[in-house]
Amino acid sequence: MDVALSGIGWVTPSGIGWGGGGQRFDLTPGALPVLTRKEVFPEPNQRFGRQSEYSKIGLASIAFALRDAGLETWTEKRPVGIMAASQLGCLTTDLDYFHTVLPQGGSLPSPNLFAYTLANCFMGEAAIQFGLTGSTMVINEAGQSGAASLRMALESIAWGEHDTMLAGICDLQAPVQFAESFTTTPGALFMVLSGQPSHQRPGYGALSLAGNGSILYNGKEAAGIVELLHTCLSGR
Amino acid sequence: MNRVYVTAAAALSGLGPDLETLWQRLLAGESAVRPIERFATDRYITNNASWIAGLEPESGRSRIYPLLELLLDGFPPVPAGTVLITATTKGCIDSMEQLQKGLAGDPHDLQVEHLLQWLGRKYPVSSAININAACASSTIAVARAAALIANGRCESVLVLCMDLLSEFVFSGFSALQGLAINTCRPFDLNRNGLSLGEGGGALLMMSGALARREKRPLLGVIAGWGAANDATHITAPARDGCGLVQAVTQALKKAGIGPDDIGAVSAHGTGTVYNDQMELTAFKALFGDRQLPMHSVKGAIGHTLGAAGGIEVAVGLRSLQSGVLPPTVGLTDPAPGAEGLFSNREQQLTGDCLLTTNSGFGGVNAALILQRGEL
Repeated sequence: MDVALSGIGWVTPSGIGWGGGGQRFDLTPGALPVLTRKEVFPEPNQRFGRQSEYSKIGLASIAFALRDAGLETWTEKRPVGIMAASQLGCLTTDLDYFHTVLPQGGSLPSPNLFAYTLANCFMGEAAIQFGLTGSTMVINEAGQSGAASLRMALESIAWGEHDTMLAGICDLQAPVQFAESFTTTPGALFMVLSGQPSHQRPGYGALSLAGNGSILYNGKEAAGIVELLHTCLSGR
Repeated sequence: MNRVYVTAAAALSGLGPDLETLWQRLLAGESAVRPIERFATDRYITNNASWIAGLEPESGRSRIYPLLELLLDGFPPVPAGTVLITATTKGCIDSMEQLQKGLAGDPHDLQVEHLLQWLGRKYPVSSAININAACASSTIAVARAAALIANGRCESVLVLCMDLLSEFVFSGFSALQGLAINTCRPFDLNRNGLSLGEGGGALLMMSGALARREKRPLLGVIAGWGAANDATHITAPARDGCGLVQAVTQALKKAGIGPDDIGAVSAHGTGTVYNDQMELTAFKALFGDRQLPMHSVKGAIGHTLGAAGGIEVAVGLRSLQSGVLPPTVGLTDPAPGAEGLFSNREQQLTGDCLLTTNSGFGGVNAALILQRGEL
């Protein structure tokens, strides 16, 4: 089954962007930009400022991908699912939260930070912001290719569980104290996948699954999400 | 679509080291919720949780490893090429605590991939992923496993679900004022919060063809599954239960059955005011005024977070086998809408299908339909 790739969004050390926005996409090691609400949402947004950095980059890249696909605005909730691969999840938020527990012996743990100590919470923020009612989950896999989340999203569409899915990766830089233990490249990338392609927007081509489970982009094997995005965007 | 069979099930909880012990103690109405001895609790709103005695690791090692070793002790062999799906929300969170306190710990434990690699050395799996979807993690892991087998992507999946009792999570729920002072009281008029727990569940799922070739016992069928986000709030459920209704509706459709075919419900039933009310609202929308037997295990073993759904599947299959639904421990005075559904005594289960549901932070809801099954 061919699935249309209809939107791309990202937050990487090189900057923010979406497929049709004209920004350059690159995912190389470095520091992520500090996102402001105005860079992500043109209108005031009470929730954005209090989110963890991990949640902000995940939510922002989903917002950009939906904008690119023409799906940012909505009036009724939609059964769109989200699957993201992550190596470290919300480890940075976990450390920030636990530091509110330690110094005071547990007397001042931050309930707001605790709410963001689940790796899937940014998906809940995206669900609220964009009215998305599909299945949402974070996947940990070997390596940082994001192939598992992309494959699972494609399967979910092929098996009739969802018509539209967001698939991507989301990671912050490894915390300084663990920098030698992990080699994660920070960034969040999401793509919008649809089983029913739009005839009004050009999109980026078609994804499908080979019989052995490998991911095909316009009929050719794609290694992972980052390589796929480079290929998609180089053709523009 | 291939039928999906559960051929082996194991559960480890505060009530004991195996599923049979858990089952007998659930029927006896016992609770493992008791004062915590693992960390100081004097600054938190309670000192009670369900925890596994003797879960003491070697220095610098996470408790998740002895938990898994205990869980998998005596578990049947896993066929070569099996897909591994784990489900955990916080994995080796105790290693993070140790490291932040300046004690010995392995930083690699902070990445779930490390745990997957450790499991990959124990079992001949073809691939491995972990699913994190808050307190519905293992429910969604079972759903994913069922979808893989049903659609012919593989013939065998091992689902391992686990989470620890940690000061990290305990302090957070305490800060949210979400913990019951004593044992939680699911669906009770005077419920006032959840009791945390820890545990693990293991489910070996197979296609009928493989189960037959391997001469495996058939504990039951995963007949339907569904998951949905209620898109309402990060830490609170939608009051109208829309996400849970959507997830259950998907599961019924997948199973090819209607609400009247459900013989019993294993509810998430955390004992918080809002979760339980949301579930009652959703069940009313789905089942109307039917006096359908329902229960929650959270008063007995606490809320085991990412392990909850897997343990509840193991218990649900046991319920289908025996025709009995265990008591809801902690319930004394049913909340409006829970009368006639939940009981602190065991209830008889009629029919061949049991619905089990879980919900969690981030708006997640998931549902599974378990069925008696033969090849």
